[in-house]
This record gives sequence, C-alpha cells and structure tokens, in this order.
Amino acid sequence: MWCVIGEPMGKRKKGDGRPHLDDRKSLSRRRLLTGAASAGAALSTAALTHSQARAAADPAITEIQDWNRYLGDGVDERPYGLPSEFEKHVVRRDVSWLTADPKSSVNFTPLHELEGIITPNGLCFERHHGGIAEIDPAKHRLMINGLVDTPLVFTMEDIMRFPRHNRIYFLECAANSGMEWRGAQLNGCQFTHGMVHNVMYTGVRLSDVLKEAGLQSTAKWLLPEGADAAAMTRSIPLKKGLDDCLIAFKMNGEALRPEQGYPLRLVVPGWEGNMWIKWLRRIEVGDEPWHQREETSKYTDLLANGKARRFTWTMDVKSVITNPSPQAPITHGRGQTVLTGLAWSGYGKIARVDVTIDGGRNWQRARLDGPSFSKSVHRFYHDFYWDGSPLFLQSRAIDDAGNVQPTKAELRTARGQNSIYHNNGIQTWHVREDGSAENVEIS
Amino acid sequence: MSRSPSALLLAGAIAALIDSGSYAQGVDIGEKVFRKCKACHAVGDGAKNRVGPHLNDIFGRKAGTVDGFKYSKAMTAAGENGLEWDAQSIGRFVAKPRDAIRGTKMAFAGMEKEEDRASLIAYLKTFSGRGAGRQPEKKKAAVAAEKPTANPAIATGAEGKKELAKNAEVPGHGTFHLGRVALDEEITAWDIDIRPDGAGLPDGRGTVSLGESIYTERCAACHGDFGDGRDRWPALAGGQGSLMKERPEKTIGSYWPYLSTVYDYIRRAMPFGDARSLTDDEVYALTAYVLYLNDIVTEEDFELSSENFTALHLPNEDAFIPDDRAQEGHYANRNEPCMNDCIPGKAKVTMRARVLDVTPDSETVEGTDTIE
Repeated sequence: MWCVIGEPMGKRKKGDGRPHLDDRKSLSRRRLLTGAASAGAALSTAALTHSQARAAADPAITEIQDWNRYLGDGVDERPYGLPSEFEKHVVRRDVSWLTADPKSSVNFTPLHELEGIITPNGLCFERHHGGIAEIDPAKHRLMINGLVDTPLVFTMEDIMRFPRHNRIYFLECAANSGMEWRGAQLNGCQFTHGMVHNVMYTGVRLSDVLKEAGLQSTAKWLLPEGADAAAMTRSIPLKKGLDDCLIAFKMNGEALRPEQGYPLRLVVPGWEGNMWIKWLRRIEVGDEPWHQREETSKYTDLLANGKARRFTWTMDVKSVITNPSPQAPITHGRGQTVLTGLAWSGYGKIARVDVTIDGGRNWQRARLDGPSFSKSVHRFYHDFYWDGSPLFLQSRAIDDAGNVQPTKAELRTARGQNSIYHNNGIQTWHVREDGSAENVEIS
Repeated sequence: MSRSPSALLLAGAIAALIDSGSYAQGVDIGEKVFRKCKACHAVGDGAKNRVGPHLNDIFGRKAGTVDGFKYSKAMTAAGENGLEWDAQSIGRFVAKPRDAIRGTKMAFAGMEKEEDRASLIAYLKTFSGRGAGRQPEKKKAAVAAEKPTANPAIATGAEGKKELAKNAEVPGHGTFHLGRVALDEEITAWDIDIRPDGAGLPDGRGTVSLGESIYTERCAACHGDFGDGRDRWPALAGGQGSLMKERPEKTIGSYWPYLSTVYDYIRRAMPFGDARSLTDDEVYALTAYVLYLNDIVTEEDFELSSENFTALHLPNEDAFIPDDRAQEGHYANRNEPCMNDCIPGKAKVTMRARVLDVTPDSETVEGTDTIE
C-alpha cells in the first residue's frame, strides 16, 4: 500500500532533501548584506554565460524536481492565500531608533520588491499613534455632529448603503524621506521612500454622508476622529471634504486591514497621510480649525528663520528609482538593464519623468507604463545597456499642473534642514562597478 | 525575604482565585490591569525590553537579571541579595515599588487594590514557565474553536425572526434616508475636542501642585521628572530659543502655539496606554503643571480653570505661517528643466549613507570610494 488516502502530503515532503526556506535565508537580504562580494561573483558568472555556452548541463533542467513529481497542497490548505515561501523577505520593516515605542511608530513598504502601481494590502506601510485598534464592525459607529441640521449616527450597514465609488490613490506620510533632510542617511528606498502606498479604495462620498445630516451655512471645517487609543484628529477644510474625499471600507477589493483602519477610514486624495483618519468614528462640522496636536506640534514645517508653516496639506510632486537601489543591486553584470521607479503628485497626474545616469548632467525621458490616474502613483522605466561603469542615478517627476520635482539643495536653500516633513527632493543612488548601490549626495 | 502580612494575604487571594475556578477570569481582569504597565513593559511573543524589562518568565527569576536591560543599582543588589520573583514578591513590589526597593528606577507609584495585584499576577503567570510568551489557555481554545464559516452576521439573520422588508422603518432626514438621529448623551460622550478660542472646554479647575502629584504618578515614567523626556519620549518643557539652532527642541513651551491643544490631547490620548482615564479636573491640573514646567506660570498654587483658560497664551503662537510652498523659486519659476549638459564636470560624492551605519540590518561593507 503505497498511498494512503488522507495521509497528509506535507508530511511526506518534509525531510525529503528539498531545501526549505529556513536553510536558505532570504535571497535578496543575502544579496544586500554581502554586497560587493556576491555581486562580483554574479558578474563573473554572467560574463561567462554571455560569451560562451555552459560547460555542464543545468540540473534545474536535467534533474526531475520534487514539485514536478509529487502532488502539492490541495485547495483547502490555504483558505487565505499567502505569497510563496521564497518571497518571505518581502515584508514591511521598521527603523527601531526612530521612535520611542512600537505602538506609536512607523514601518516601511518594500518598494524595491514591487511592480506596477498597486501596493498589496499586507505591504502597505503602517503608522499608528496608539497601536492598531481591533474593532468589531458590529460595534462600530460613525457620528456626524456639529454645524449640521440633524446630527446622525451610522452603523456599518448604513454606510454601505450609500452609492459606492472606486478610486486609486497614493497615500504618502508627510514625513516620508524626512530622515534625509540633513543628508544621505538610510541605505535603501524602502527606508528613504517607503512611507507611500497606492491602493484602490471602495467607499462612499464624504459629501453624500455629510449632506445626509444637512450642512449649515456657517460650516467651513471638518474634524474627523479615529476610534483608536490616540483618538486621532485632524482639521480638514470642508471644501476638500466636498471635493473628492471618500469614506472607504475596502482596499484592493477586500476589507480594510486592521492596521489601515478597519472597518472605516477617510480617504483624502493627494494630502498628507496623517489626515486619512483610520478607524473613523466621528466627523464634526465647524466654522474654524481645531489646531489639534497633529497639526501644531507635529506636521508643521519648521523653517530656518524659526517660523513654521502650518496646514501644508498637499503632497508635492515626487519620484524615486526603486531598482536598482541599495537593497536591489545589479547582479547580472554589464548588459541590458531595467531601471524602474515610481512617481506621484498630490496635484494630479504625472505628465513626465526624466532619468539621468550621470548625476544630472544629461537627462532622458523615462517610459511611463501602466494606468495613469490623478493622485495615484505612476510606474516608469528606463531600459538601457549598462557598460559596467559607475552610475549616478536620479529621477525627476513633472506633474500635469507643471510642478517640477526640486533638488534637495533647492529645498534646503528655501527651508533649511529642520522641516522634517515634505521632503520631495531628487534622490541619488550611486551604482558601483560591482553593481552594488548606495544612497549618496553629489555635487 | 520576609513575608509581610499583606504578601501572605495576597498569596491567599491568588490561591482562592485558582481554587474557585475564577482563575481564567482573574487572568482576563489582569490583562486589563496590565494596561497600566504596558507603556513600559512588554509580555508575550517577541516581547522586548522597553522603558522597563520584558516580563516573560518572570516567575522564579532572580531580580535584576533580564539580559540587556539596564537596572538601577538597587534592583541589581536586591537580586544579588537573593530576591527572586514570585507571587508574593511581585505583589509587594507592585503595591509600592519605591518603598519595596528603595532606589528602583520604576516610576510607577503603586497599585493599591489587592484584587488588581492578584489579577495582574495571574495574568503575568501565563507568560512564565511552560507555554511562556503565549496567550492565556482560554484564549487559545477560543481561537482554535473559530473555524471559518459563513459571515456570522448573515447566519444569525437567517435564524432570527423574519421581518417583512416592506415594514422596515425609513427615516425622514436626508437624501438617502440613512442613519439615525444622534442622541445628546452620545454626542457628549464623543465630542471632547477643544479649540483655541475655548470652544469645547468643560467646566472644571485644577492647581499646579495637584498637577504635580498626578504627573509624578502618571506621566513622569515617560516624560521625565521635569518634563525633559526619557529616552525618545517627548520632552514637554525647555527648548525655548532653540528653533533656529541646528537641533531645535520642540516642546510645549518652545513650539506649540495653543494651550487648548495641550488640554485636548491629554484628555483624548494620555496617559499613553490608558487614555480617557483622567477626570476633567485632573486634566486642568496637569495642564497647569505643564505651564509651570515651562515657567509660563510660576506659583504652585496657580489654578487653571474654564474661566481663566483662554487668557493664557503660549510663547510661540505667532511663529506659525500659512503654506507658501508655491512661492518657492523652484516651484514659482516654471522653467523648462534642463536636459543636456546641465552641470559641468563629473558628479562627485559629497555624502554617503554608509558612513552613518543606521540602516536596519546593514553590515559594514568596505566601499572603494572615499568621501570627497
């Protein structure tokens, strides 16, 4: 009897000599860590295969692989599918020294591992001020109060009966790239630019919900509030609320993730991520702003002259090359190379992205590919033949309102180095002769 | 160590808890009690040292011996003199830390209620010994029992009594007739925001000296004895005149524009991990104490109240300006960006990330470049 019905296939597979992920560690991390050495090895192998045929046949072809012989998991093994175990290294990561406590902290999206324009739900960066609120949707309420004719309370079921809309928007933390104001600091686009994600939201128009309560003529401002332990609040002009804000309950087709505000979050297209109140439970209508903690002590931009800008809501035009980058070195040696990255603007669509490989001496137009939506990220490519000489890579985005992404030097001249927020300066990666890459600043 | 009468009582209370079968309930209550400790101590899977050491496997451990945590001399000495953590010793310490071990750096004032201590100890015990770092057994069972089924809301709806759709009540308000009218007491429960003009301030009052005693108990563990901020927790005082310096210190006294924000934020979100636990009067007292820490009021008997609140102003109020990014040269000039021969000479590295070595998990890899 060689096959017993019901014997778990998984058991037989274990210890079958097939290397498991634990033995192998993460590929890309090893690449990152060993940097120069492994990239150098890859270079010589690549050179070999370029110039001549392989000496010995490839065992990946000549040997019958386990997955080609044995049956795999059945349909019930993974009721909610997860990525391949070989993608285990593709995760959000934090920078522990940035904040006092993980309950009020941030982690970063691995931009260098992603393609296209949509960020998978499990990889959208997290930023909480009082940890993740785990809310039973049956106990969640949304209240509208203040300068309205009829203050109202909605259940989740009520909210989902308003007309629904689907929109793709980027969400960027105002502090994205904030650690780079004084100069190159973190080695990887995940850490320098990973506080941005791009998601398709399904929700209802904020204007529909507000109008249901009846706005009074003196109404000018909104104060959305979260149900989390920070009871997060921000003042938002009513005009923006009526223009394009959504109250969302789905992201990329499924329910919001708890860390993204389940069961309800505000969507404030093109504006600071901090304003997209998660775990949304109340919206107050008023005639003046409230000057809450997150719009006075934080999320205000200190200038060199000691003044500070407040209510700097819009996220400026910005781009970053995600590959090659410090976490994604070139491992194939000279030859055909894909350079790719992301561009976005809180003012509208991206009209154009320019790319330089010589540190801004000469620029070429990158190729935009994939869907182009207002206030959504755009994917760009520059396909070129790398001759193996050092590169200084930069990208420069231009939006359809005519805003050109500034250099870091221009921003520092205008604002000094203590603004923390709204650093959209042009990023430089230095690719060395061994294919490894580093975050640098250049003259 | 000698057993004090209260320690014996506590041991009795725990034994009673376990015997009576209400142990699981004690664990549940203990989890709630532990919220007071959570800002500084972690337990469970992957718990790390924070302001205080992690508390996994605390039972049977010699005091002052968690790897990598920097204890006070007093705590290390207590361990060396034979103090081992068990229900009695934890209970005694938590009741009044600074009396139990003079010189401990744990800033917690103490847990008065014996039931709270007993529940807390029951909860901590679930993270010690076999099964340490896991959720209490009861919870695990509950999770295991949860098999994916159809949406539970729909399931109960089908079993419930059938209502005819045509009989459902439709409210009169709005366009879509959705939601219901919010009750005044519901609005009062949630609408706690305060504006700089005083809108939203509740009736009440509190003095600097009362604020100081609350601060010492509830706030100093993170914000420091003088509002100077421990570790990376925010400083509340000092830094005046530093905003144009290389490293500005942004505190309530040096940076925040409005006092209303202080009241609003303490009331909605502080103490960290135990929000909404202060009375309105206590928030007035704490706000008064923050003013005192910043030398904005100087008398210890100063009383802040709903009457005098709006008369007080913070020093940096006038330093805030509207968003004028669009006027910056790089945005305002609208020039077509240069495409060819834009900068003379070859690019030179002026600064490298590698020098700082602050990227997570990075290993120092010797580069070939030097900094120019």
